[in-house]
Amino acid sequence: MIAKEHWRDNMSDPNKIGKEVIELNERLYREGATDGLPVVPPTDELVAEMLRGTDLPGDHVLGHLGNREDPLTVERLAANGVMAGCRPIHMPVLVAGGKALVDPASNSMSFSVSTTGWAYLWMINGPIRDDIDIQSKSGAFGPGFRANRTIGRALGLAYRNTTRIYPGEKDMATLGNPFKYSLLAGENEEQSPWEPYHVSEEDYDAEESTITLAGPSCYISWTPYRNEPEYILEGMIDHMDPYMTGSGGHKTVWQLLCPYSAEQLGNAGLSKQNVKEFVRDNSYVDASKYARGKYQDREVERNDPRDIPSRQLPQISDTESLKVLTVGGAGTVNATVGPSIGGPVTKRIELPENWDDLVEEYTVTPDWIKSSQFFE
Amino acid sequence: MGLLDPTTTAGYDSQEIHALAPRVDELNGKRIGLYDNGKMAAEPVLEVLHGKLETQYPDSTFATHAKEVKQDVQDPEKLAAVTKWAREEELDVCIGAIGDCGSCTKFLTWGMQAVEEAGVPTVGLVDEGFELDWQTNAIERGWPLRYNTDAVRSEVRDHDLIAERLTPETLDAIEDELTRPLTDKEQGIAPRDR
Repeated sequence: MIAKEHWRDNMSDPNKIGKEVIELNERLYREGATDGLPVVPPTDELVAEMLRGTDLPGDHVLGHLGNREDPLTVERLAANGVMAGCRPIHMPVLVAGGKALVDPASNSMSFSVSTTGWAYLWMINGPIRDDIDIQSKSGAFGPGFRANRTIGRALGLAYRNTTRIYPGEKDMATLGNPFKYSLLAGENEEQSPWEPYHVSEEDYDAEESTITLAGPSCYISWTPYRNEPEYILEGMIDHMDPYMTGSGGHKTVWQLLCPYSAEQLGNAGLSKQNVKEFVRDNSYVDASKYARGKYQDREVERNDPRDIPSRQLPQISDTESLKVLTVGGAGTVNATVGPSIGGPVTKRIELPENWDDLVEEYTVTPDWIKSSQFFE
Repeated sequence: MGLLDPTTTAGYDSQEIHALAPRVDELNGKRIGLYDNGKMAAEPVLEVLHGKLETQYPDSTFATHAKEVKQDVQDPEKLAAVTKWAREEELDVCIGAIGDCGSCTKFLTWGMQAVEEAGVPTVGLVDEGFELDWQTNAIERGWPLRYNTDAVRSEVRDHDLIAERLTPETLDAIEDELTRPLTDKEQGIAPRDR
């Protein structure tokens, strides 16, 4: 509980400030600049403060987005970061995420407006996770951790506000997607039996920090019957519903394994590639569903369905289309996320010269849990 | 206290509006382009439409252009290829299908814009639920593209169901979009009203 004295000492008139913040929020909501949740007003001073988190000038154009190829500037990114609740130490991740959004390989233009309502999946690798407290262990996908919650929201708002897409107008997601701005986590590299994603998949050094963007539609959590290799592998396959197909390295399925399950696979001598190959070789969908065109396989669809034998077709065409990462904390719960039609694209997170000072100045160490003091 | 605008600063007000291609007097005897934007329902819709147009306009000829994937028009070269197709086929008019999802509606406006740039009048076939989507995408690109919302229903690929929607009245409405003279606004010579 924050003491009333704290407010009296640090705010001239909390009631007045609160009222002004509400009024500014209503204005920003009316103008379509928010996601419906309250935002921090992007004042000149707060945006200038955010820009301390990058060596790039505010008018630097990261790239272009939308029908009119509107520029995504560093300043606009910072303003949306302020609104989402980010602090200057989050700015390097926002800049790298912005570069991912403007990369045509991300396919963000399609999946941001689609009726399917794809989410933005952001995975963070490297030492930046510790610097700015990006959670990769228990509760990594939230709620609870500021960086995890605000960075994805900021990048979603930046896309929306640069391209001016609104639900039912150009963002035509039929049902919407509760994960749209919420899927951001660090990889739990420390408890993984394998090389982290940015090293094994993207050829970065382990000491580099990266952000990876994909565009999945579904998040399915599951627990293996027993936390043993065969059941974990079986669970990965069983929880790829027939819609989750992967092909060509661009339509991907993401298997996010908790450390306990990943450890079991590692102890069994299975490499990440071994796991991918097993899933590729043992996941199938009914060919008759291809014949109905459900999976948009036009070559098959154009044939007479009666000519299609009743057989199975591979669900994952190649190991490039399956991603395996270690995420989360204690327990045996995993998640299958996909299919993704976004990217995946990975960008290096560049730090400003004053990084160490910024981290010291802006780090907030959570001090939430008091009960364990009983056992000290 | 100053607020920084988190949105795109260039609004619709600053958007230059391009003139649509002049319409034709009638469809019979004309060369009609059928543009398939790569969405699943586009092909059967255009197949059924083709048959009905052949009956209604016996002196017309037809040319088709099919995209493998709807988003490939993001590639400037592939978008330019649409304009080139319209020119090389010497189209008089073009009908595009289909706008029945978020990205396909967006990219159908891009395709129809490319055909209009060849001087060929167009009409896009759009599910009624995507009308606003069509309008905003078209205007953001600076083209007040014409469309019809009666001809198609989202994701319907059954030929019989498609044929039921393509009534004589609907065919007349499609023809009207390709023959009705342009308004001043559509010719890009009227002051903007938004």
